[in-house]
Amino acid sequence: MNPTNYLVLSAILFSIGAAGVLVRRNAIVVFMCIELMLNASNLAFVTFARMNGTLDGQVVAFFVMVVAAAEVVVGLAIIVTIFRTRNSASVDEPNLLRL
Amino acid sequence: MVHLAVPMAETLTFPSLQYRAMAPILIVLGAAVLGVVVEALVPQAARRAVQLAVTLGGLATALVFVVATPGSELGVVAGGTLAIDGPGLFLQMTILVVAIAAMLVVAERRVDPAGDAFAPRASSLVGSGEEQEQTRRGWSQTEVWPLSLFAVGGMLLFVTANDLLILFLALEVMSLPLYLLAGMARRRRLLSQEAAMKYFLLGSFASAFLLYGSAMLFGYAGSLDFAAIADAFRDKPGQLGLQVIGLTLLGAGLLFKAAAVPFHMWAPDVYQGAPTPITGFMAGAVKVAAFGALLRVMYVALGGAAWEWQPAFWVIASVTMLVGVVLAVTSSDIKRMLAYSSVAHAGFLLLGVVAFSTAGLSATMFYLLAYGLTTVGAFAVVMLVRGPSGEAGHLSSWAGLGRTSPVLAGVFALFLLALAGIPLTSGFTAKFGVFAAAIEAGGVWPVIAAVVASAISAFFYLKVIVLMFFARPGPDAPAVVVPSLLTTTAIGVAVVATLLLGVFPQAFLDLASGSTPFLR
Amino acid sequence: MNVYTPILVLGILAFGFALFSVVVAGITGPKRYNRARLDAYECGIQPTPQPMGGGRFPVKYYLVAMSFIIFDIELVFLYPWAVMVDDLGLFGLVAMLVFLTNLIVVYAYEWARGGLEWD
Repeated sequence: MNPTNYLVLSAILFSIGAAGVLVRRNAIVVFMCIELMLNASNLAFVTFARMNGTLDGQVVAFFVMVVAAAEVVVGLAIIVTIFRTRNSASVDEPNLLRL
Repeated sequence: MVHLAVPMAETLTFPSLQYRAMAPILIVLGAAVLGVVVEALVPQAARRAVQLAVTLGGLATALVFVVATPGSELGVVAGGTLAIDGPGLFLQMTILVVAIAAMLVVAERRVDPAGDAFAPRASSLVGSGEEQEQTRRGWSQTEVWPLSLFAVGGMLLFVTANDLLILFLALEVMSLPLYLLAGMARRRRLLSQEAAMKYFLLGSFASAFLLYGSAMLFGYAGSLDFAAIADAFRDKPGQLGLQVIGLTLLGAGLLFKAAAVPFHMWAPDVYQGAPTPITGFMAGAVKVAAFGALLRVMYVALGGAAWEWQPAFWVIASVTMLVGVVLAVTSSDIKRMLAYSSVAHAGFLLLGVVAFSTAGLSATMFYLLAYGLTTVGAFAVVMLVRGPSGEAGHLSSWAGLGRTSPVLAGVFALFLLALAGIPLTSGFTAKFGVFAAAIEAGGVWPVIAAVVASAISAFFYLKVIVLMFFARPGPDAPAVVVPSLLTTTAIGVAVVATLLLGVFPQAFLDLASGSTPFLR
Repeated sequence: MNVYTPILVLGILAFGFALFSVVVAGITGPKRYNRARLDAYECGIQPTPQPMGGGRFPVKYYLVAMSFIIFDIELVFLYPWAVMVDDLGLFGLVAMLVFLTNLIVVYAYEWARGGLEWD
């Protein structure tokens, strides 16, 4: 199977994620969209590793997975703390910082 | 027996690790892990003192190791993933000096009746009985220290990263602790938490862009190594799509951290919401790290494609300066004003980056040193001027400060003059350097834009100075906290550096230009 | 193909055992139904949304999820090491020990600071 198809898929996934970040209003959903973008990058890395015949891209995918997990924890910690204070996870509602 | 594994060499070769060259990074990250152990094992009452010792000790030791790195250790180390070279060491030194000053400000305990600037437990409900009990017992937030150390470790890695994977990892190690630190303010915590969430969502969005750009460059060059990417740009024409997408997305991710327009929207909100000592740390040290990495990526990895990115960067630099100063003029909160001023400074710094020359490199590095220290000092002063409900953020409450506390107002005026780039301060020498480098590189119009932006910026810096010295104190005049030795030292270092780099800059200019160029 | 045979055999065995257990339990077991038996198993949540503001999970589940994901995903590095443990030798062992020490430090921190008390 032509590896280019995987690249197209990864570009589509990345675009869905980026569009989701810009469009969705719930912090957790925004955050899931960011994870989708990271995983789209992973797919691109693995595909290029296959095309270029090196293992580097697969190593990157490992590290990105772990970093994404750390990001999940930090992000959930922040979102949960805000949720506990305000009982809402909307990104529009916290608006104290607009002048 | 059938082998499932892909064919590979019979014997593995292990990367050789040059521990001496990597020592500063290892020391800071080791101190951070030690800090986590302290959090786990040392009782609450003694924790603060121990953490302070671990943090400052770790940073100071790392600084000594950076300064004392012998020339024979310079080179591309750890299997080609780290470049410990002149610019790398200069930037590491800058980061460590700025971080030490910022940590002294973080340690200040006299700013609030209840202690330092941080909530006792960032996870407790704001204003709950639980939190009041913690405040009454005098608990202090000590997780700030290991988190800051991890961030500093990430920065040291970020400016020496010579490989796309390490670049991404360093970016995350630097950013994740900062997202948390932004949400820990004792006063106005809702604002602080909101800043943390914005910073987190936008920051991870930007790092996803950086990662996808890295994937494209990896696909184009077939390697993660900066030198190999540079070779590919030289020897391998074609695949323009991968080149351009990779370059654009990677650049966008880095420019976000540098707070350049159009990726600057987070800066005012985060700077305003974060606890002020952390704002100083971010504004100073993160700026150094972001521009350090940007310089290395653009000069080493993407140098062969300079004709592709230079025109775009001239435009971004000009727009960043002008947008930054115009927004700074319109803001009425001191922290927001300094945040927009930091956006404008990102534009000035970009002039040095886009010059793409040895002069541009050394001028940018000198600018980072000057700007980092001045900024930490300025935010330390902001922290000390307080109204009844926390810091006196609004500009109107700074009126007449020159009459009530002339020394503090004088120090702040010095910092503002340096940020404006008035002669005999560090800001002038720094700006002169990047402007000269940019003109040499043929960027006459951007430099004209920069001069216009400087003139506009002088207006709002001087507005604050006039307000402090020539206006009468209002009815809600803030109280000025008399700081302990910690903050006094930090502000003192910033003052000395601002004057020294302005009046006798030659030694530091020589140090910066002697540190060039990048090794690859 | 023959390398996948053990996996196939294992799958068949597992499926057969599951089928066997269910069928035999249905035939031989006593049939006494009560309320507690029809409830969800003790570590699960009720399958229908509970009246908590429109089916939200309590926040403490996020704490459990965070602890789980951080320790779970980090162990991904053990797989490549385990596959190549002979070739990696002492270098790999030391590197892995350093890595695990870091994880244990984090675990000790979480334990000492009450991160594992979920009530």
